[in-house]
Amino acid sequence: MNAESKPENDPKVVRDIAGAEIAFDGEGFFMNPSLWSEDAVIFLAREAGLQELSERHWTVIRFLRKFYSEQGKAPLNHHIKNGTGMSLMELEALFPGGIKYGARRLAGLPNPKGCKRGVPWNVKTG
Amino acid sequence: MKNVTLTINGITRQFVVGEQRVLLDLLRDDLHLTGAKQSCDKKGQCAACAVVVNGEAVRSCLTKVVDLNEAEVITVEGLGTPDNPHLIQEAFVLAGAIQCGFCTPGMIMAAKALLDKNQNPTKDEIKHAFRRNLCRCTGYNKIIEAVELAGRFLRGETTPDQVRPDPSGPKIGVSHPRPWSMIKACGLAEFAADIIIPGALELAVVRSPHHNARIKSIDSSEAEKMDGVVGVMTAKDVKGSNNVGPIFKDQPLLCNDHVPVLGAPIAAVAALTKDQALAAAEAVKVDYEILPRISTIDEALAEGAPQIQQDYPNLCYQREQIKGDAKAALSAAAYVVEGDFTTQMIHQAPLEPEAAIAYLDGEGEDAQLVLMGRSIQVHAHALALQDVLGWDNIRYKEAFTGGQFGIKTDITSEGLVGAAALHFKRPVRYIPSLTESMLMTTKRHPFWMSARLGADKEGKITGYQIDFSVENGAYNSLGPIIVDRSLEMLSGSYNVGDVYALAKLVYTNNAWGGAARGAGPPQVNFTLESLMDMLAAKMGMDPFEFRLKNTLKPGESMSTGHVADEWAYKACLERMKPLYERARKDAAAHGNGVIKRGVGMAGASFGVGPANDVSNVAVELDPDGGLSVYASVADPGEGNDAMLTQITAHVMDMPLEKIRIITRDTEQTPDSGISAGSRQTYMSGKALVKALEALKAAMAESGAKTHADLVKAGKPVRYLSTHTLSHTGLDPKTGQGVAWESRMHGAQMAEVEVNTETGEVKVLKVSTVVDVGTIINPLAVVCQIEGGMDMGAGMALREEYVLGESKDWVTFKFPTMKTSFEMETILLESERPNGPLGATGVGEFTLVATHPAISNAVCDAIGVRVHDLPITADRVLSALGKK
Repeated sequence: MNAESKPENDPKVVRDIAGAEIAFDGEGFFMNPSLWSEDAVIFLAREAGLQELSERHWTVIRFLRKFYSEQGKAPLNHHIKNGTGMSLMELEALFPGGIKYGARRLAGLPNPKGCKRGVPWNVKTG
Repeated sequence: MKNVTLTINGITRQFVVGEQRVLLDLLRDDLHLTGAKQSCDKKGQCAACAVVVNGEAVRSCLTKVVDLNEAEVITVEGLGTPDNPHLIQEAFVLAGAIQCGFCTPGMIMAAKALLDKNQNPTKDEIKHAFRRNLCRCTGYNKIIEAVELAGRFLRGETTPDQVRPDPSGPKIGVSHPRPWSMIKACGLAEFAADIIIPGALELAVVRSPHHNARIKSIDSSEAEKMDGVVGVMTAKDVKGSNNVGPIFKDQPLLCNDHVPVLGAPIAAVAALTKDQALAAAEAVKVDYEILPRISTIDEALAEGAPQIQQDYPNLCYQREQIKGDAKAALSAAAYVVEGDFTTQMIHQAPLEPEAAIAYLDGEGEDAQLVLMGRSIQVHAHALALQDVLGWDNIRYKEAFTGGQFGIKTDITSEGLVGAAALHFKRPVRYIPSLTESMLMTTKRHPFWMSARLGADKEGKITGYQIDFSVENGAYNSLGPIIVDRSLEMLSGSYNVGDVYALAKLVYTNNAWGGAARGAGPPQVNFTLESLMDMLAAKMGMDPFEFRLKNTLKPGESMSTGHVADEWAYKACLERMKPLYERARKDAAAHGNGVIKRGVGMAGASFGVGPANDVSNVAVELDPDGGLSVYASVADPGEGNDAMLTQITAHVMDMPLEKIRIITRDTEQTPDSGISAGSRQTYMSGKALVKALEALKAAMAESGAKTHADLVKAGKPVRYLSTHTLSHTGLDPKTGQGVAWESRMHGAQMAEVEVNTETGEVKVLKVSTVVDVGTIINPLAVVCQIEGGMDMGAGMALREEYVLGESKDWVTFKFPTMKTSFEMETILLESERPNGPLGATGVGEFTLVATHPAISNAVCDAIGVRVHDLPITADRVLSALGKK
């Protein structure tokens, strides 16, 4: 588990997680969302500091996945608030990295940077 | 005030107007006849505002209404409608003379005035009649052909029905009229400034007069007291991150305390009228501490140079590409050439200014902020603006977009109107001037390149080394992407053996670079294709044969180490050969006087389908027998409307008129990604095919033929497909890997004349042989190629953006009918296995090869090489030792 095939700072990392080889971009987003699995997200959540995913975490993750699979786009904050019944403050606090780089990443949605994902490779992005 | 009687489109009315009121403002602001467009700040430089007055084409921006008493005015709206178009409008649609459509109404009215007097004009007469009309998309040839076709219609020699492809015939591989062309021809396509919002506030922006400064204070007290002023907004009034930098957090929507570039936005004034807003903006007092300007890469990299952006070093990005041992290969090479080359900063120059509008739909915190502007990636921009503005509910509706060529990859005016609509709680319009539009947008990055290319004694290239520095300007925008793309396509169309490249991206206090058609490869390809000619000359080989000998072949690897599984470039060269031999004979026959002829070759193999790309497209069978395609596929002129429609009709075997495309609204569409990088046909076309196949499978499984049948069978009527690319891009340390899934290939040949006394270069003809896989709409492909050739000629010979000096179309040296030239495009088709129906992209290839082909032709003509673009008359004379 967690055998990295590329060195540190490499933007694209292929990892062996729960028996599956999964490629991630430089910011940890799934490069192929179809490889998302609950086992993978549990592993990634622990790595991000969430030892246990509560039902509220799963509510958000499932909402994000359902929205994306049905709509073909990432939800805006107001969609997530309406869809989960949680406040923005609660949502942002629930996941390390907040909604955009926490919940969205764990849910296997594309990197919000769009065509800029994976770049820059080893410079501070602010 | 004066009382003037005018007959406009057959209706006679009185108008009481001020002495200075111009016809364009009367038409657009008072009568809401928005077919006539404003681009050049009413300087009479573009004729996008042309209408016919008493039988003559006039620029309505220069025409005072008080001078028009009893005049008869015809605007594009008075010519025809989509249901009953004028023959000239039909001709423009059928000839492919309409891309973004912003210049089209003015072009059509110029044609009307000409053809009313002369139904059979010569090319020279057409060029003269259109000498004031500007177009960035077409390269003008298709406009000339449209006027000629309109003449044939008017003379009764043929009819639109005879020219129009049979709509019941094949759906792909045929130049069916593009779905949105006719509303553009009739002046009914609504660009952002055409959208009416009664009572909307008008925005004016206070911009920095300094290249580098610190803001000590902003005093807006006097401005706020002025007539019509609703308020003045500064950075502290933006509730979100106030940062629009797409990668680095270095570009505030409104400056906080530091101003790193001339024209940076300091404050926004909202008023009841534009004039009031502009007057108040002048009254905002900003106290600056002026800082030294860093205007070159050398200054920025000098020891002790001040850091331009607080959070990032001046050398903000650096990459290598290492394939084999280029140093050893060049040491061992029998022939080596080397040289320094530069390319200039260029404005992408879409004709439409950066207009946008915004309003709140609803009340309180749940209100939806609706933005309408020129975005080519509405979902990504809505998501980004959510953070920039600190507002959770954003809808982006794309207006028709008057060209963009990469410039709208970034957020521009929509950020300011969004912030203003939230701050003032009123609808807001921001219709900036052309000068402002130039100040607020990215540019094509200038490159400084030093390179060596070597070959063995048989003429086989063995090694390539290049160091290049890219001037980033004051903000990062997509700087790292441009560096990466340059490396990803560094070896162009050739097998160059071992490679070493070192690329640096450097901040300065200059205008900042970003996406610009081709975005990196055009710059580095200038160096490679110049060295190709230099090396061929050193070896005594014909440059055409040298290229043929060194073209990459399937099974060989590019500079990225990626082994090609197809390489259609060789076939393009072989198809070009008879054209090249003819051009050589023509040049030889020309003689050797003051005017010298030259022939130049260049190629391009351009990547399509980047690592990790994603597109989503949905299709829905409609109750009335139609089929709707939902995709955020912006079409700022390329022909994505035709691509989506024709692919759908082909796959579903349905009539074209049954296909609806819904593409411009975040509420209605899935996220299909950006309309840039030549990706939409390849990515969204593929997602579309997959969605249609899912629909077809459901219909086949249930035996359904209609919407009602599907519903009865309990099957969905809507199918969403996601197309994802899973290749992983380049290794950051070596620059090796798979960067692109597919490639388009093409060879170009330029024929030029150079006046050795004046230094002037005249392009006689550019020929292109291109292979872009299966062709959906041949005319749309040719139009892309021709527009790119014209843009490439501008890059080769004229265009240069100089911050503070380039303020309009004249100072930018915008291409005109006079600078247009003959073009020939030959299309080859070799199916790409991963593309939709075998297609790949086309939009950017063309620009990558044109300017080196022209540069090589100039060198061929005069025997000396100009290493710096643009190749101005002064530079030619200097190269000839005459200056």
